[in-house]
Amino acid sequence: MTAENTSAPPARPPCPWYRRIRLWPRSLAARTAFVLLTGLVVVQTLGLGIHTLDRNDLVRLAAVRVFSFRVMSIYRDLAEVQPPQRAQRLRKIELPPTFSVTLMDETDDLFSNLLPTPPPIRHSILLNMDSFPLPPELRPQHVHFGVNPETRHEYTALQMPDGRWLVISSLLPSPDSIRGTEFLIAFIVMTVLAAAMTLWAVRRLTAPVRTLAAAAEALGRDVNAPPLPEGGPSEIAAAARAFNTMAGRIRRFVQDRTLLLTAIGHDLRTPITRMRLRAEFMEDDEQRAKMLQDLDEMEAMVSATIAFGRIASPNEPVSPIDLAELLRTVLDEAGDAAPEIADRLRYEGPDHWTVRVRPQAFKRALTNLVSNAVKYGNCAQIRLLQPGRQGGTLRIEVNDEGPGIPAEHMTRLLQPFQRLENSRNRETGGVGLGLAIARDIARAHGGDLILGNRPEGGARVTLTLPV
Amino acid sequence: MHLHDLSSFAYLLIMDIRPHLLVIDDDHEIRDLLTRFMEKHGFRVTAVRDAREARRAWTRGAFQLVVLDLMLPGESGLDLARWLRDQEDVAIVMLSAMGEDTDRIIGLELGADDYIAKPFNPRELLARIRAIMRRATDTQGNGSNGDRTARPLRFAGWTLDPARRRLLNPDGVEVPLTGGEYDLLFALLERANRVLTRDMLLDLLRGRQAGPFDRAIDVAVSRLRRKLDDQGGGAQLIKTVRGGGYVLAATVERA
Repeated sequence: MTAENTSAPPARPPCPWYRRIRLWPRSLAARTAFVLLTGLVVVQTLGLGIHTLDRNDLVRLAAVRVFSFRVMSIYRDLAEVQPPQRAQRLRKIELPPTFSVTLMDETDDLFSNLLPTPPPIRHSILLNMDSFPLPPELRPQHVHFGVNPETRHEYTALQMPDGRWLVISSLLPSPDSIRGTEFLIAFIVMTVLAAAMTLWAVRRLTAPVRTLAAAAEALGRDVNAPPLPEGGPSEIAAAARAFNTMAGRIRRFVQDRTLLLTAIGHDLRTPITRMRLRAEFMEDDEQRAKMLQDLDEMEAMVSATIAFGRIASPNEPVSPIDLAELLRTVLDEAGDAAPEIADRLRYEGPDHWTVRVRPQAFKRALTNLVSNAVKYGNCAQIRLLQPGRQGGTLRIEVNDEGPGIPAEHMTRLLQPFQRLENSRNRETGGVGLGLAIARDIARAHGGDLILGNRPEGGARVTLTLPV
Repeated sequence: MHLHDLSSFAYLLIMDIRPHLLVIDDDHEIRDLLTRFMEKHGFRVTAVRDAREARRAWTRGAFQLVVLDLMLPGESGLDLARWLRDQEDVAIVMLSAMGEDTDRIIGLELGADDYIAKPFNPRELLARIRAIMRRATDTQGNGSNGDRTARPLRFAGWTLDPARRRLLNPDGVEVPLTGGEYDLLFALLERANRVLTRDMLLDLLRGRQAGPFDRAIDVAVSRLRRKLDDQGGGAQLIKTVRGGGYVLAATVERA
């Protein structure tokens, strides 16, 4: 009936490295989203990097091309005229910005102060120069390249046909990494969209896992919980079908067992009635009293068994009842049955408090708790704690002054047929259904049953009831 | 055989004044034991096993009370109860499966005077039978007032529902009672405005309660007063009668 695991928790597997990350999230959805989003960011960053490098290359090539052609145009203009007119011609040329042109006889001094131009640029300038249309006799004899590391000016020296040097210095355009904000905006929009779709898909895919967990939890509380819908992706549908089959088997098992129990309980009533009557004819008063006591015990067990079977199909309607008086009545009945402990039964709480419950079932739960307290704790003190102003939960505490409940037995004791002592001794006889019945009834009312101990000693069983 | 014995034997034969019970139960051991038990306590018993035999026995004898097991082979106990109701106003005590609430309600609505769950305590059965007989004598009826027992009793805004053995306050909220408190209140309501002596009350509570009965009655009355918000003074519902006894001072209506 219950799904709790009573054995010690299984040994934890060694912790893999990724679990030691502080940020490693706990839920499946968060983990999947975390992995996918991390991947997305890495891919996007790499893509951005490759794109930027590629673009820079193109920009530089284009710049080099423009530069080379300008250089060659200036050279051609000067080479076409006779050497004496060259200085004059030079002054007429309209130079692009950052260009400066000089005619020199010797360039060794100049280039000794410069660094060599990076080979890719030099090659590309040379290639561009070669493709520039010029008559072969006008082509420059020699070409030197150099860079001024401080001003970042590119110096190009071309030897004219007359042996003089035309030196052109210019600022090579350095490509700015990302020009324009359109690209950045597009990049961000793309990333955000992809992230949103990832989150949506992950949530959608992991939703059935949450449903399955909720269904398993519900089955633990109530074997008659409604089945899972068997729709969705094929894997999920298969899991839901398997779960429903399992739930059906558990339900049948529980029903069979309950039916068996109830049948035995019903059948025992006739022999118990006979023995009761027969006891009335016994001569020995002491023996008769003992026999009647045994029969009372048997009847209590039978009635507990039948009550347990009945919880599965509650047909009692919900109706209003004065809970404070119910608690007092349960204590009074315990006191009437055993007058010697009547002084040790106390009620603390409001004089009246109306709740809507199934009265007979609820009374049965309370009677079980009080009878346990009397049996094991030799007294029973009930406290009715009202919920706060905002509503919430009503708490009924049943306290005793016995030895309390060992913590390791608490979960086990809530299961049917489990008792605290191993020997089913007669003094405290019973079948071990009292707490299981009380808890099932509490849960059928939307509440729960919590076992615990009082700080000052003794057991404290709390029944909660939502208001 | 002594003359004395003979005369008492003849007396019994000619006019047996012991109350006559008809016990209907399909378990023959229970039948025999119940017969012996009730005879030991001054009843005359005819025991039969099913509805057919019960009808036959009915035509031959005059019975003050029928103890009827609802779970019978063949014709059901409820049908037989209905038939008995049509024949004569006889008191009926029903026996049935433990805690089958619907059975009890149907049984009482059919006109059973009381209902007791199996496995029952023989002494409690005896006490209930005696209480019904006394009630019958009190009300001068032939046997039963069964047709009225299932109907709720209203008094001073309160309602006692015998079919479900519960007390409702003027707001319709159930105020739980112990078995003894219920029997006590029911007895007081049945004889409202008449004094119930301590002896009568003792009879009602015996078999249910352990311990000193005298004190049990006072305790039950004081609990009932608390539950009925019966504060005392002139308007007190349950009044103590000097010399021992109680009276319920209220108009009781049967719904």
